[in-house]
Amino acid sequence: MQISGLKYGAQLLDLVEFPYAPFLTADANKEQIQNMLAQHKKLVIKPFFAGGVGKKGKAGLVRIVDNVEDALQAKKELYFATHHYGNKTVTANGVTFEAFVPSEIEVYFSIATSTTHRKPIFTLSPFGGMDIETLPPDKKQVIWIDPFIGLKSFDITNALMDTGCPEKFISPLVQHLPKLWGLYDNYGLTTLEINPVRMMQADNRIIPVACDLKAAFDQDNPAWKRMGLPSTIFQSDITPFEAQINQLRTYQGQSDVLELNPAGSIMPFMFGGGANSAATETLGSSAIFSSDFGGNPPYEKMYDIARIVFKHWLKNASVLLIIGGKANNTDIYITFKGIFDALRDHMAAYGRTPIYTVVGRGGPNLVKGMFYGKDILDTLKLPYKMFGYDTSMIQVLEYAKRIDQWWADKGRKEYEKKKV
Amino acid sequence: MRQQKTKPFPYYVGVHSLEELVTRDSRVCVINILGSESRKVTPVSHEYSNGNIVAGVQYGRKGVLESKRGDIPVFSSIRDVMENDIFFDIGVVYLPPLAVSQAVAELATYNENLKRIVIVTEKVPSRDSRNIRFVCQEAGVDVIGCNCLGVANVWDHVRVGGALAGDHPEEALRKGSIAIHSNSGNFTTTIAEYLRTAGFGLTTAVSSGKDIYIHFALPEFLYAAQNDPRTKAVALYVEPGGYYEKQALDWIKERRFGFNKPIVVCVTGRWKKNIQRACGHAGALAGSGDDAESKEAWFDDYFGVPAFDPRNPVVSKRGVRVASIQHFPEAMRAIFDVIDEEPDFPSSGDLSLKLWISDNWFKLPAELDVPLVTAMPPYDQQIREINKQVGANYLRQNMSDKSGASRMDPRTQVSELHGKSILDLSNYTMEENIYFSLAKVMPDPADLPTINILLNLFFKMDERRMDLVDVARSNDCTPNAYIGSQIALIGDKPLLRKARAATAFLIDMIREFEIDDLTKEFPAELDAYVVTEILTKDPVRKTPISELLLKEIKKCPKKSFPIRVLQHIIKLAESNGLEIRDNYEFYLGGLAISMFWKPMLEKRISRQVVEDAVTYFYIIARIVAYSVIDRKNNAFWRELIDAKVSNLRNSFTENAFTVLFNRKPTETELYEFKALIGLTLTNGPGTLSAKGAKESVSARNHIATAFLGFLTNTGLAHGGNGFEAVGFLLEQFDKSLQDPGDPNHTLNLTKMANQAARQYRDYKKMEKETGELNYKRIPCINHPVFKGNDINIDPREEYIRGEFKNRNIYNVFLDYYHKLVEELFNEGVTKNVFCVNIDAVLAVIILKLVWKDLHEGKMTPEMVQALSFTQFLYGRAVGVAAEIADHRDRGTDMDCRTPQDKVQFVL
Repeated sequence: MQISGLKYGAQLLDLVEFPYAPFLTADANKEQIQNMLAQHKKLVIKPFFAGGVGKKGKAGLVRIVDNVEDALQAKKELYFATHHYGNKTVTANGVTFEAFVPSEIEVYFSIATSTTHRKPIFTLSPFGGMDIETLPPDKKQVIWIDPFIGLKSFDITNALMDTGCPEKFISPLVQHLPKLWGLYDNYGLTTLEINPVRMMQADNRIIPVACDLKAAFDQDNPAWKRMGLPSTIFQSDITPFEAQINQLRTYQGQSDVLELNPAGSIMPFMFGGGANSAATETLGSSAIFSSDFGGNPPYEKMYDIARIVFKHWLKNASVLLIIGGKANNTDIYITFKGIFDALRDHMAAYGRTPIYTVVGRGGPNLVKGMFYGKDILDTLKLPYKMFGYDTSMIQVLEYAKRIDQWWADKGRKEYEKKKV
Repeated sequence: MRQQKTKPFPYYVGVHSLEELVTRDSRVCVINILGSESRKVTPVSHEYSNGNIVAGVQYGRKGVLESKRGDIPVFSSIRDVMENDIFFDIGVVYLPPLAVSQAVAELATYNENLKRIVIVTEKVPSRDSRNIRFVCQEAGVDVIGCNCLGVANVWDHVRVGGALAGDHPEEALRKGSIAIHSNSGNFTTTIAEYLRTAGFGLTTAVSSGKDIYIHFALPEFLYAAQNDPRTKAVALYVEPGGYYEKQALDWIKERRFGFNKPIVVCVTGRWKKNIQRACGHAGALAGSGDDAESKEAWFDDYFGVPAFDPRNPVVSKRGVRVASIQHFPEAMRAIFDVIDEEPDFPSSGDLSLKLWISDNWFKLPAELDVPLVTAMPPYDQQIREINKQVGANYLRQNMSDKSGASRMDPRTQVSELHGKSILDLSNYTMEENIYFSLAKVMPDPADLPTINILLNLFFKMDERRMDLVDVARSNDCTPNAYIGSQIALIGDKPLLRKARAATAFLIDMIREFEIDDLTKEFPAELDAYVVTEILTKDPVRKTPISELLLKEIKKCPKKSFPIRVLQHIIKLAESNGLEIRDNYEFYLGGLAISMFWKPMLEKRISRQVVEDAVTYFYIIARIVAYSVIDRKNNAFWRELIDAKVSNLRNSFTENAFTVLFNRKPTETELYEFKALIGLTLTNGPGTLSAKGAKESVSARNHIATAFLGFLTNTGLAHGGNGFEAVGFLLEQFDKSLQDPGDPNHTLNLTKMANQAARQYRDYKKMEKETGELNYKRIPCINHPVFKGNDINIDPREEYIRGEFKNRNIYNVFLDYYHKLVEELFNEGVTKNVFCVNIDAVLAVIILKLVWKDLHEGKMTPEMVQALSFTQFLYGRAVGVAAEIADHRDRGTDMDCRTPQDKVQFVL
């Protein structure tokens, strides 16, 4: 859950009265653009992406213009701009026209969690506007924050002085930057990055102005909901399948899924964070999604998860895989009952889909759970293999991959030929 | 604020050696001890750890948590625990995520002896975890978690926190020389199991959690492992995200603390570098420098050797990285060779593919065909035992006001039985719905004749039984009472008991001998078993009915194996010149299995329901049989109860109609009757009728007595609005209406409705003027949910009206009702057009069905009322069967009792 840009970033900054560059959204008319140009001389035009844009931001997708025609042309070019990060491609859905703020320096400021310090930290540099990681250590300062006090003015002053910030900018920054702790701490943020902050001359005063913003939210902290951001802006982060599973998210029992390859052929029900990590790695692109359904989910939740999984993926899948180590607390019977009841009900409603089931699992009520699955698979006339937890989980995963391959090549046809 | 520091760390660490992390002297207090997870896990920890849990907290409550080592006292707050002078030095937190940081603050505030806190809860906000760290650093308390399973000191036989190593911790936690630190709770146990195969046991197991904040992280773990004389090597499981490992290795290299024990580490999660959102562990989301590859490189650099290759096992004294957790045993063995140490105990087993359960009919190519192996004890025994079990199993719970069978959708007000709306069910016959209420699926059409035979069979009785009913009727008993008087006598009569025993015998036999669709020949052992158990040389009683059932089974065209089993037993008896003991009951039980086997194997229904199926059929059929209103003049009923078997194949619905209306139904009437039954099947578990049955089950009564509970909980109030509607319509229509089903009637319904509306308007005005606000309402119009629009519709009524239209069924009374709500609006009596509600549908159908008889004097208004009530009992009896079966499956004894603190004394 991330946002980037001023369109919604401004809403965050308003909460703590932190100044930001005036801007217009994509629905601005020519006259409004003209007026803004008349006032600020130049405009910075950026594509708007719902959700996050990765670590590197929107580099290369920013235009600076000084007339309406160029502004409209830039809007045309950037409105549906695409941006790649990791293995993801995102498409813009609009632009912002931001006032160009002349400034002698650009300041980088962020608040984040540091696992090295095991504390929140702020990072500050008067050499902002670029990737902070490329800056040499003497040009940036990383300072830990006492969460019960927040950002301390003297820490900011010292950091700016140590990094060679011109003196005239120190006081305005010290006045405004501490406000950002209130934003970070009260609204469920895990990262807040403002880059750049430009120093705007207003009469005799200098005002730091946020010209871009990135924020990431903790989905386990409901405080972000207080900001009133439209939930649609996070939708690009998740697929419809993920969204449906996420609705089941409660503190009891995981319901985490990540859609990996919609063209894959293994539906892996993974149990436990470790199994999630190891299984996703071993299955590679065969896995349609990655999941963690551990944490002893109640029956109703497991049934709903499985129902959604089958609704989305059963038709084109080859293997139903249930994989996990020896569960400590997750009741195998309850989870298997949820999965196989959903399978039975799905097939009763939509017809039988040939699928091979592979199970590698251990834990409380294991045999009872396995037999629950066995009885239902027997009535559905579907083939299966269930391995004890004294089998290496990785070997079960590799076996499932081989079954998956064979099922696609020959197995499914042979099964259909048998007319069971 | 200044922070505490413990050398060599720039922060507070209270553990010098892993020996001290938790010990047999640790005393534990568990917060939220009676929560659903803790309630199960804590007693296991307590028993494994020599009874070290001295108290629990359940906010606002007091009590005890039972365990085999004695009760654990439960207090209402941490302050309460302290005030009772209970010493503890470790807190375990099981609270929901948003409450965790508060409990930690409370623990740190009130208990100065506190050394550690283990936080099991997952999904704790990162902000709260950060605050927890600050509070505990200041208080000098180590934190393990959040989102972890806790820690175990295997040498001291102590585990603290969550369900580390499951419900039999001694299986995975064997004493040895390895200390595990794992980001995954499950892998803590799994790695321990894997290491055990190579002969390695544990000193310590730490499930660290993998949130963004890991409070007991690798630097302090390795430091404490170094200082632990028991630990010879360390096993680590690491996921991407965070710099804890780099910091630990850097500090070792910088000699901030000494560390010279070997490490075997597995880093997984290379794939996670491409994701932007955590899946699984919240903290397993990498930035640019802390992805899995980076972490692998940190360790490889430290070890000075590449990742472990089992074909060419090269390790260093510092250790080695394994690419997958399955290589832990081999890598650890190679390490022990290098450090010249022996494993802790002889190796046992390996991690090769061990197939425990498999289908036995779909051949795989040789390279994929894995042989079945006997599972390790105790699972081998469990497999043998569980293989005999069949059918759905439910967790028993308090089922008061709860149902797994029925519910009402508060939005649509449409009730459902087993997920099907009563509107849908009103399209099915009574026999189909009886089967459905038990099996949760509609019957196979091939089974319908058998269902009808069984139901109709139970009409047969000695008419003298009805003398008691006559007495009851002469005493003005209502239908529920006079029917109930007979149902009460059923108890668990031998017929039902023996049929149940026969069903149970057949189920056991089928599972014991593993007979299924693929069985071509029955084993000789089965034959011997059958001969011994149920066949006899003695003559047995044969009746026309038992002979009919025998024929039915012999010629049954169904190919399902339960029928084949029955046919085989009959053949076996005949070929050996033997008889089947209690043959009639055996055939009944056998037929029940043949009909209910599939839903039982599909786990839709429990074995108990199948065993009781004959009982349910018997009771419902008897309710209909005893309900006849004018038996002296009802020739149809007389034929149904007599000893002849010729009429057993009729539809049970038709028979029920003839019992009630004393005539054969037309096709239209049969549909209307089905609709009546379907619509009255259920109104959810909160209804009086369902509660009566459920409360009786709760008191552990026989099924027949539970039906009696339902019957005694129905009464004249049940048809209330519907009866009033019948009365109201009788005032509006006279004998000039010949046939209420004729759309070409000559009545001017609009005019009639307008007249009634005007009359009502005047009546209402007069009542108001005289100050009487409790004036009479027109029955069956308006509804608390379906109101407020310009024109209002009760969707249930609309559905039935649509079905009538599709079938060209006309009902003048319903038509009139719709005209009436319009005219009430036109005359300004109502501020919008009210809906005609579902009760009106019941009333208009009943009135239509009895109209002719009523006006010909064959029926009196009192008889119409009894008939209407009885019809309601038919429908509800079918639905109640599902409630009784559900409560018997899921409920507990006395669960419908109201606790003392919930009852009130009223002056």
